[in-house]
Amino acid sequence: MNRSSRQHLPELRGLELALLALPVAALPHAWHQPLWVTLLVAAAILLRSWLHLRDRKPPSIGLMALLAAFAGGLTFLQYGTLFGQEAGTALLLVMMALKLLETRNRRDIVIGLFLGYFVVVTTYFFDQSMLIAAWSLLSAWLLTAALVQVHAGRPLERRRLAKHSGWMMVHAFPFMLILFVAFPRVQGPLWGDPQRDEVATTALSGELNPGDIAELLQDETTTMRVQFHGSVPPPRAQYWRALVMTDFDGRRWQAEGGQSSIELPQPGDSDRVVAYTATLEPTRMRYLPVLDYPVALPDNAEYRDNHQVVRDRRIVNRIQYDAEADLTRPPGAGEALSRSARERALELPPSAAPRARAEVALWRATHGDDDRAIIQAALDRFAAAPYRYTLQPPTLEGDVTDQFLFETQAGYCEHYASAFAVLMRSAGIPTRVVTGYQGGEWMQRGEYLRLRNADAHAWNEVWLDGEGWIRVDPTAAIAPERIEAGIGGLTGGDGEPMPDFLRRDGLGWVQQLRFGFEDWRDFARFRWESWVLAFDPERQRELFARFGLDATDWRDIVTALGVGFGLLAAVALVWSGWRRPRRQLEVPDRLLHRLSRRIERQQTGLGRRPHEPVITWTRRVKVARPDLAPLVDAFAEHYNRVRFAPARPDDRARHLTTLRRLAASDLRKPAADPPLPRTT
Amino acid sequence: MRASSLGPAERLRSQGRRLREGVIRWVARRHRDDGAQTTLGRDRIYILPTRAGYTLLAILGVMLLGAINYSNNMAFLLTFLLIGIGHNAIWYTHRNLLGLKASALPTTPVFANQPLSVSLRLEDTCGRDREALHLSIGEYTSEPVAIPGRGQQVACLSLPAPGRGVYRLPRQHLGTQYPLGILNAWSWLGLTSEILVYPQPVDPGAAHTGLGDQAGAHRRQDASTPDHIRPYRPGDPPGRILWKALARTGKLHIRETVAGGRDTLWIDWSSMPASDTEARLSMLCHQILTAEAEGRAWGLRLPDQTLPPGQGPAQRERGLRALAEFRFEPIPLPVAETARGTKK
Repeated sequence: MNRSSRQHLPELRGLELALLALPVAALPHAWHQPLWVTLLVAAAILLRSWLHLRDRKPPSIGLMALLAAFAGGLTFLQYGTLFGQEAGTALLLVMMALKLLETRNRRDIVIGLFLGYFVVVTTYFFDQSMLIAAWSLLSAWLLTAALVQVHAGRPLERRRLAKHSGWMMVHAFPFMLILFVAFPRVQGPLWGDPQRDEVATTALSGELNPGDIAELLQDETTTMRVQFHGSVPPPRAQYWRALVMTDFDGRRWQAEGGQSSIELPQPGDSDRVVAYTATLEPTRMRYLPVLDYPVALPDNAEYRDNHQVVRDRRIVNRIQYDAEADLTRPPGAGEALSRSARERALELPPSAAPRARAEVALWRATHGDDDRAIIQAALDRFAAAPYRYTLQPPTLEGDVTDQFLFETQAGYCEHYASAFAVLMRSAGIPTRVVTGYQGGEWMQRGEYLRLRNADAHAWNEVWLDGEGWIRVDPTAAIAPERIEAGIGGLTGGDGEPMPDFLRRDGLGWVQQLRFGFEDWRDFARFRWESWVLAFDPERQRELFARFGLDATDWRDIVTALGVGFGLLAAVALVWSGWRRPRRQLEVPDRLLHRLSRRIERQQTGLGRRPHEPVITWTRRVKVARPDLAPLVDAFAEHYNRVRFAPARPDDRARHLTTLRRLAASDLRKPAADPPLPRTT
Repeated sequence: MRASSLGPAERLRSQGRRLREGVIRWVARRHRDDGAQTTLGRDRIYILPTRAGYTLLAILGVMLLGAINYSNNMAFLLTFLLIGIGHNAIWYTHRNLLGLKASALPTTPVFANQPLSVSLRLEDTCGRDREALHLSIGEYTSEPVAIPGRGQQVACLSLPAPGRGVYRLPRQHLGTQYPLGILNAWSWLGLTSEILVYPQPVDPGAAHTGLGDQAGAHRRQDASTPDHIRPYRPGDPPGRILWKALARTGKLHIRETVAGGRDTLWIDWSSMPASDTEARLSMLCHQILTAEAEGRAWGLRLPDQTLPPGQGPAQRERGLRALAEFRFEPIPLPVAETARGTKK
């Protein structure tokens, strides 16, 4: 590296800003990249900064090629590939840093900055939070400022660069919005499986094995947010069905997708219908949680014959959907249960739960054919016997049903739902298990319902001829507060440890504050997710439909884009006309015109004629209206000061203020002899 | 190279060049001479993406594909934001030229084989700061010029020395890529200005001793002539102020040789010891400069013109102009064109 003169500096103007903007753009990657990538990028940037400060030349091309090969090799070693989200991003970061290190001329800086924009966009592979969005804006702002400096031809002041770049972003914002809304969206992916690299999410399992949901119940992450349009159903009616389980092997319940699609039931009484919009986090499954009982679904969802709702593809992105529920219309109401369905819903392994069967036989003997009485007997048993609701039940061995019913007698919704189903099937009542969510937290700020994974719940549906599949929630019998107030309503009974987020009462102010902050954050996140992240082809279609357009028709898309950009152009035109700095001399002239017009209105012929000098005019006014003499004299004085005397800007402003006041002052003749003295 | 040996790339390039030349001809027809001053209106500002612009376009295309593939709404947002910025850059870059007032400043005459400096005055009348304006003629480009709002600035361009003659200012190109460098906006100006290039002075004495002696004789003879003294007039060369007289009388006086007398030096085309026109002009030029340096009155005889004797800067200018114009029809200054129509 030779010591060079400062001759290369004009070409490299803007490098300082690039050396600031690029690390800012790359910073969010530090949390997701292997340490060596972060260190390499930091080292390259520091080295380049040092070389720049000491005014030294960058490393030679040969050395750079060697470094690039080395970095590429490391990436390959780490990931086994150079493509894909993680490896590609690592490679991009490293190459950007090396490009910066070897920067020799303006073109190199420009390429480096373009790569910087790319680095920002790759951040979204890992994080799509609002914080990252804000950080992206900061990065783009700095990168653009650096780009401006590179092309400015002279060092610009920081403030000017900042303002310029900021305005460029502001001007581009409407563009972004119009394109975001109207750009034709297609359902990805175009190639590959984009979700391959993503971390697993917690979701309801397709199996119910008493003990399974427990880990979900400890999980406070949000799974779903719901906004109701119109009335909000009471908590005890908020059952969000997701999976329906009919097959039982003595220990596990198995969900299935149903045989075929069926028609949705017609909604009944309109005041029983609840319309809502749900935003669902990716579950990697096809089921769609819907409020009991669905009467309207999004187009890409199906209602299956086991009364479960599934989407046409796995949910790998956050989605938003509109649906409606009729709270009082259980599935199958007014229909008959087919023989095969009845048999399936009664099936029990012959050896399962002998003690339970014996008990049920007693109930049958007591209540005869009365299915309702049998159901009540089971619920009474849960309410009366020393059953307790706990999130840490003892493990079950042997026959899970008998052991739970007669020995441990402690468990949570899954245990109760499973045991209840076995009891009912023993009694010959078709029964199934439904899992989903129940309760949730009503967020006052934003007025939406927030369902966490912890709100996962399991309940039963029993078939009653003529009435359909009636929901029975055995957990309500043992822990009614779980149903009424959600899982947060549970008071950890026998001093058993409850997850922190479930205990909001009796907390210190620090925690209260923390939860207050959490609520705010969830609200912001909800808005961000429902307005920005959940916008997909489906939502776009709905939005277009609201304006009578079809989002799948290119002509309508062109129309939408045309209208959007047309409006934008109109606004820009009006704005640029309004913002055009009025020629500095125009202001006093306008004021003169205004005053002249007002005087003319008082007395015709007294207005200033176009050719008339101000002094001549004031003289004329003074003759006709001596009472206006002080006013026009003062006006002429200040007018001449502003127009003809070179004044300092603040003097000018002072004169203009006075002129404005004078031009607006009262012109009425002072009533020297008021005809009627005014009384107060 | 035979036409058949042209590769497809080469053929494409030559076609591109021909197309560009056609466009330039078309534009040149559209804009004739502008005279001394012109304002850049919308009808004469052209704008095209630069290579960096196409690079950015490609990068944005990849970003958009990625956004679609990964159904990533934030990627959509950023891509669209950048598309918006890139689109608005058309407007920013265009505005950097729009409404600019340009006028040609008189070009200082030079001697042949001396670099020539061409200057335009650029003035903003819209109250907008202008940045990074490049004036270019042919393949020569000025340093970037920045103009404060309602201010003015001179753009200077150094051109290589042409031969002796009188030239017209060739078409000027005023361009800018500010602020993002992804677009190049430019306008062709047809400001007119006369460029005088005097002959390169050549000492005739160095080549032919005979004439040198003759000239020397003139000089000796003239040195013995008494000077005429007259009061100072503004514009007189300071070298001829009588400083001693100033000290004595407190007034400025000038030593002046009497014009038109037998002391007058006649610089004569026919007495130059060369047959080649340019060589003769060079020698005449040298003689004029020598006479002026010595402060003598001189006259010039050319085959088609006689300059009456005189002395001083105006006489010098008249004489040198006569040499520059001698048998020379004004033509546009020959300047090498760049292969590409657009340039930095």
